[in-house]
Amino acid sequence: MPSLLMEILLVASLLLLGALTLFNRHLVRACTWFVLFALTVSFSWWWMGFPWLASIELLLGAVLTGAFLFHALGVGPTAKRPSGLLAGWHDHPPPRGRALMRLLPALAMLAMLGLALEDLAEGRASVALWSCGMGLLGLGLWAFALHRHLIRRLLGFNVIGTGIFLILVSLADETERAAAHGLIITGLVVAMLGTALGALLIRRLEALEAQHGRQHAAGGHAI
Amino acid sequence: MIERLGLVSNALPAQAEELAALGGVLGLPLLLGLLGGLARPARGWPVAVVGVLPLLALGWLFLQVAGEGRVWTVPLGPLSLYWRVNGLALLMLLLTQAILLASALYAPTYLRVDVQAPARRQAWFWPLLGLLATSLSLIWLAADLLLLYFGLELMGLVAVGLMLLPGKADALVAGLRYLLLALIGSLAFLLGIALLLGAWGRLDLAGLTEAAEPGPLLWVAVALLSAGLLLKAAAFPLHAWLAPVHAAAWTPISALHAGLVIKASFFIALQLWLVLTPRSAPAAWLVGGLAAAAVVWGGVMAWRAAKLKDMLAWSTVSQLGYLLLGFPLLVGTDSTVAAVAWEGTWLQLAAHGIAKAAMFLAAGNLVLATGKSHLRELAGASRRFPLALLSFGIAAISLVGLPPSMGFTAKWLLLNAALMAGQWIWLAVLAAGTLLSAAYVFRVFRYSFVEDAPSLDFRPVPWSMDAVALVLALASLLLGLVAEWPLSLLRAAGGES
Repeated sequence: MPSLLMEILLVASLLLLGALTLFNRHLVRACTWFVLFALTVSFSWWWMGFPWLASIELLLGAVLTGAFLFHALGVGPTAKRPSGLLAGWHDHPPPRGRALMRLLPALAMLAMLGLALEDLAEGRASVALWSCGMGLLGLGLWAFALHRHLIRRLLGFNVIGTGIFLILVSLADETERAAAHGLIITGLVVAMLGTALGALLIRRLEALEAQHGRQHAAGGHAI
Repeated sequence: MIERLGLVSNALPAQAEELAALGGVLGLPLLLGLLGGLARPARGWPVAVVGVLPLLALGWLFLQVAGEGRVWTVPLGPLSLYWRVNGLALLMLLLTQAILLASALYAPTYLRVDVQAPARRQAWFWPLLGLLATSLSLIWLAADLLLLYFGLELMGLVAVGLMLLPGKADALVAGLRYLLLALIGSLAFLLGIALLLGAWGRLDLAGLTEAAEPGPLLWVAVALLSAGLLLKAAAFPLHAWLAPVHAAAWTPISALHAGLVIKASFFIALQLWLVLTPRSAPAAWLVGGLAAAAVVWGGVMAWRAAKLKDMLAWSTVSQLGYLLLGFPLLVGTDSTVAAVAWEGTWLQLAAHGIAKAAMFLAAGNLVLATGKSHLRELAGASRRFPLALLSFGIAAISLVGLPPSMGFTAKWLLLNAALMAGQWIWLAVLAAGTLLSAAYVFRVFRYSFVEDAPSLDFRPVPWSMDAVALVLALASLLLGLVAEWPLSLLRAAGGES
């Protein structure tokens, strides 16, 4: 059954790419993984027969969100090396014990959801889709609790959002599809705008800090 | 309770005229905002002339429904969107238009006199203001979760955008935090909606009332929805983001944010509880406990605050506690209690909206005049800026809840509801809140009546800024005398007069 194989392949690659996005230590690479992740999501929508969602995800998720993330890092077509202050900032991961502690809220959330959806998810067609959504949600929550870095949190937000969209589609029938698509499109626009605002904010803060630093330096010379 | 919210189950397709009135109420502010961005009004009077137009559109909508609750459906491709117009929605729309108009009248002079931001960034103020008005109106009118989600997200992003306009480092850091929290809140909200859609296959509120069955799924969904909304409403203990955000924002934006934006999240939360879990009293008591903590903690922090704007932000946390008392008084109580609590809650929302907007504008004038933001540095203000201080004091009467203000009527109704329900503990909360709010308001006067202050240089405040603050403050005081009109509007919303 090629379709089952394809489904498993898609789920596995989505989860893997999500994990790489969230946990890669190098921020530029993490953002690159995110663009690949968004492209895979877009392909999954197309494969499920939702070309509209696929094209919106391609435009908003992969192209625009990716562009804003790289803008926040200070990486552009002309400047290959990240210039932003935050770009070189490797987070120091918390000690292993604490990292596991921070997994707990994500697990509690998943358990709660699993409890709620126990009898709902059984009759539905796509268990793979549902579990993939749950997996992305859990990964995203963990990353969100683990990292303080703003760009990582924006990445986490985007991955959690994708997880919720997948859960939403897996739960919706044919009759509810229009409403589900309305929600997802709104959510995609919100995620893109949120990332854009965050990226512009980071750049502005960096500019202010640089200015402040220069003034400081100039004052120092005068003395 | 559903009838009170105006959610009748026989939704009718909207007629052309009704659709036009809806479009006018939603679209005009946006259009005017774009116009304002292009024209950048430097004085108040063009804003006053143009600002009447949305009020006219609102009047037209009022005539369309003729005092009764209606639910209209508007088809959009394969979707049908549900709109609800009733007394409550009209009252909220009127409140929104009033506070927006006051902020818009205040803004041209404020931007000219006080703000050092470049003109290009100032121009953004107007379209964002228009978008905020549209999104708030959308929230008051929406009767399905898709529209509510759309309105909530639009409002959240626009609010972040407005907070960022000052462009200074502290505003940016506060805005960044606000952005992240708003995004987290919207994820929780979306997940809650996804569960409801998956379980019962519909998003219109009237339909969900009939379809939803109690069970783990409903509880998890409502918990997710409420958590997202209460985070955005700065309800205790999710309130920590509020004070830094207000300290850094422009004055008219703070007035709008405290007066309207956080109220919208509260409005959605209370509405969803009444629709989905109208009988779950124990959970509502939990929210009541949070409300009590908010009233006391917010009051204490406001009393200890060193800066004027911080004091107002903490006072918002405290006053929001009164609104949260609406949960235990409305959810799971019998209909006579609920009728009184219903009026008290919405009147408190309106009273606090107007009073807090007036206080922020008056505080903005004080800060502008002294050039300082600390309470301590208000010394001698009573002689130099009597008008700004007078506006502040009049609005404070409503905030504390002294007669004849609107705040007094609202608290009186809430008190009555608590007595009728036999929930004595809320009496203590209301009393503590009143004492605390009196304490922190009088602190301002204590500092400003210090007479032996060194005569520092100060800037004169343009009369139009003083006038807007004073009119808004007087409205909060005097509307208490004519509170019967909004109350009758709220009662008509129930369809049972």
